[in-house]
Amino acid sequence: MRRYVNALLILAIVLVAPAIAVPASRAMAQDTAEVSFWLDTTGGAEGAECRVENAVDPFNALGNGVTVNATLQANNWDATRTSLAGGAGPDVIGTPGPSFAMQLALAGQLMPLDEFAEQFGWNERFAEGSLNLGMANDQLVTIPDEIETLVLYYNKTLFEQNGWEPPKTLDELTALAEQINAAGIIPFAHANAEWRPANEWFVGEFLNHSAGGPQKVYDALVGETPWTDPDLVAAIESLNQMQQNGWFSGGLDRYYTLTEAEAGSMFGSGEAAMKIEGSWFLESVDDYFGEAAGNENEWGWVPMPSASGEAIFDLGIGQTYSINANSANPEATAQFLDYYFSPETQARLLANCGVVPAPVDLQGQDLSAVNPGLAEILAALNEAFAANNYGYTTWTFWPPESETYLIEQVEKVWAGEMTAEEYLQGHQEVFDKEREAGAVPPIPER
Amino acid sequence: MHVQKTITLNSPYTQSCAADRRRAIIRRKVVPWLFVLPILLINLAVVAGPALSAIYYSMTDWNGIGAAHWVGLDNFRTLAADPGFRHAFRNNVIWLAMFLTIPIAMALLAASLLAPVKRGALLFRMTFFIPYVLPSVITAALWRGLLSPDRGIPALLTDLGIPGFDKAFLGGPDTVLPAIGFVDNWHWWGFLMVLFLASMQNIPPDLYESARLDGANRWQEFRDVTLPGIRPTFIFMILMTTIWSFLTFDYIWILTQGGPAGASEVLAVLVFKEAFRNFNAGYAAAIGLTMSFFVGCVIAVFQILRRRGWEI
Repeated sequence: MRRYVNALLILAIVLVAPAIAVPASRAMAQDTAEVSFWLDTTGGAEGAECRVENAVDPFNALGNGVTVNATLQANNWDATRTSLAGGAGPDVIGTPGPSFAMQLALAGQLMPLDEFAEQFGWNERFAEGSLNLGMANDQLVTIPDEIETLVLYYNKTLFEQNGWEPPKTLDELTALAEQINAAGIIPFAHANAEWRPANEWFVGEFLNHSAGGPQKVYDALVGETPWTDPDLVAAIESLNQMQQNGWFSGGLDRYYTLTEAEAGSMFGSGEAAMKIEGSWFLESVDDYFGEAAGNENEWGWVPMPSASGEAIFDLGIGQTYSINANSANPEATAQFLDYYFSPETQARLLANCGVVPAPVDLQGQDLSAVNPGLAEILAALNEAFAANNYGYTTWTFWPPESETYLIEQVEKVWAGEMTAEEYLQGHQEVFDKEREAGAVPPIPER
Repeated sequence: MHVQKTITLNSPYTQSCAADRRRAIIRRKVVPWLFVLPILLINLAVVAGPALSAIYYSMTDWNGIGAAHWVGLDNFRTLAADPGFRHAFRNNVIWLAMFLTIPIAMALLAASLLAPVKRGALLFRMTFFIPYVLPSVITAALWRGLLSPDRGIPALLTDLGIPGFDKAFLGGPDTVLPAIGFVDNWHWWGFLMVLFLASMQNIPPDLYESARLDGANRWQEFRDVTLPGIRPTFIFMILMTTIWSFLTFDYIWILTQGGPAGASEVLAVLVFKEAFRNFNAGYAAAIGLTMSFFVGCVIAVFQILRRRGWEI
C-alpha cells in the first residue's frame, strides 16, 4: 500500500511541477513580447538565414521589450495557409504576393494596419501609391515587399561581335530575332521545366508592351475593356509566333525540358543571344558569364521593348507581410515590421543578402555593395513607378484562378489547340467570376 | 470410494464458474479491442475525420482559407461538365493501362528467370530493388537529365545513328505521359519482381517436376504451375496497381506539373491545382471524392467476384 502511495505521490509531483513552473516562466516572458516570424527556405536556406542575421538579430539586440522568434521552413506559404485555416499561424504573415494576401484578407485572417501606418509614418516612408497595393476593402492589410520587374538581358559580347543593337520596340525585337536565328543562334534562352509559371512572365510582358501598352491592361483589369481587345489578342499572337518559330530555346520541346541552369548556360556561352527575365536573374547571371563559366562574354540589359519604344517596367511584388488577425502581440509585431521596413534595414538586406527592397526610399543609404546592374534596374523601376509609367505583372495584379489560367492555357495556344482569342475569352470568363467574388487585388489608379 | 457432488444453483461454485466464464469472454472479446483502441483513435483522427470532412467540404464553396458555404451538389455538376476533369481521367486510364501491362510483364519475366538462380540471387534482387528505395525527387532529377535530348541518352543514341531519339520526350504532348510512365516504371518494377519472386519460391518443386514428367515445356510450366501458384499475390498487385494508378501524383508533379498543355495532367494533379493554386478547395474535395468512388468501384468488383467463387 505504501509503495502505491509513494508512486502516486511521485506521479502527482511530476504532473504538477510543470504547471507551477509555467506561470513562473510566463511571468518572466511577459516582460518581453514574443513575435513569431516564419521564413521560407525552399530552394535553399541561405536567403532566410541572411534575413535573420540582418533583420531579426539586430532587432532583438535593440532590447526594446520585443523578441522575434524566427522559424525557417520550406514551403512556408503552404504551412502558413494551413496553420491559419486552423486558427493559428505566426504573428507575421508572409505571402507570395498581394493576390494571396487578398485571399487571407477576404477570410478575415489579417489585421488592418491603418492605425500602425499612421503611428509609424509608413505613408511618408513608402513610395507614393505603393501602399495601395496592400489594400483590401478600403483598409491597409498587407505591406508590399521585394519589388521586381522584367527586362531584356542580352549577350553583350555576341551583340558586339555581330554588330547587333539592343532593340527598343517590339518590331525591332522581332527583326533582330530573325537576324539572330538566321545566324544559327537561338534568339532567346527560355525554359520552364523547373518553374512552370515562367509562362506568365512572357504573357504579361507581351500584354503590357503591346500596342495598347499598360493603359490597355489597366483598362482590362478594372473592367473598362474586355480581355479580347484586338491589341491584347495581337500581343498573344506575337508571343505564339515566337514560340512557333522555335525562338525560345530552339523549340517548344526544349522550352519545356531545359533546366534554368541549362538555359543560363546557353545564354552565357553565346548559344542563345537574349533572355527576357526578372530582376531576380541578377542574383545568378554572373554564374554564366566570364572565366568561371568558361567563356569571355559579358552581359547587358535594356528595358523590355514595347510597341511604342517607350521604356516600360512591369511592376511585381514578390512578397507581402501582414499581421495575423489572431496575433497575441499586434503592437509588438507592428514594431518589428516598422524596423524591417526601415530604409536602413532594407538597404542592409539589399547589400548583404541581395534581397530586393520594398518600395521605400533608400536615398542616403550605403548601397556600395549592391550589384550595380540591380541598382540600375531598381532605380529605373522606381522612376517608372513614380511617373505612373509601369506595367502590371500577372502575379501581383491578377486574382489567383485567372493567373493560373494564363499560365496553363497559354500552352494550349502554343500547341495549336486554342487560338489567342479563345484563350483570352476563356480568361475573361474566369476573371469576371473572380471580380464578382471580390478577389481581384487592388489596382492603383493610373 | 465414489463421492457424489451435488451442485446447486447460486452456490459459490456455480457463481465462481460464471465469473470465470465472464472473465474469459472479456479476455476474448474486449481485451483485443483495448489493444487496438489507441491506434483506432489515431486512425479516426487522422484518416476518418479528414475523410468525413472532405465529404462535407465537397458540397461547399470553401476556398481553403475562409468560411465554407453550403452549395449542395454544385461542385459535382461542375465536375461532370468540366473537360479538364475528363481529360485528366483519360490520362489516369492510360496510366492504368501502362502499369497493368509493362511493369507486371517485366516483373513476372524477371522473377521466373531468377527463381531457379541460387548463386548471386541476392545481388540480383538488390540491384533490381534499389530504384524502389530512392526518393522520387532523386529519381525524377536523375531521369530529367538522362532524358535530355542534348545531353542524355537520346543524344547518345542519336549520335550513334539510331533514328527517332532526337526529341525531348518530356517536352512533347504525345510523348510526355509515356516518358513519365517510363521513369515511374524504372522505379516500380523491381518492387513487383521481388514480391513475385518471393511468392514463386513458395511453390512446391514437386509441381514443376510433375509437369515436366507430363511433358510440359517452360512456357507451359509458367502458365499452368507458376501463375496459379502465385495467384493471390498476382491478383493483389493487380488490385493495388489499379488503385495507385488513380492516385499517381509525384513523378508527374516533379517532372512536368501536368504539362505541356495539360498532356500529363492526372486527377491528383488537378486536385492539387484546384486546391492550392486556384483556391477552390471545395471543388478539389469533390474531385478527390470522385477518385475515391472509382477506387471503391474497383475494390467492389473484386469483392463481388471473390464472393462468386473466383479465386482472387
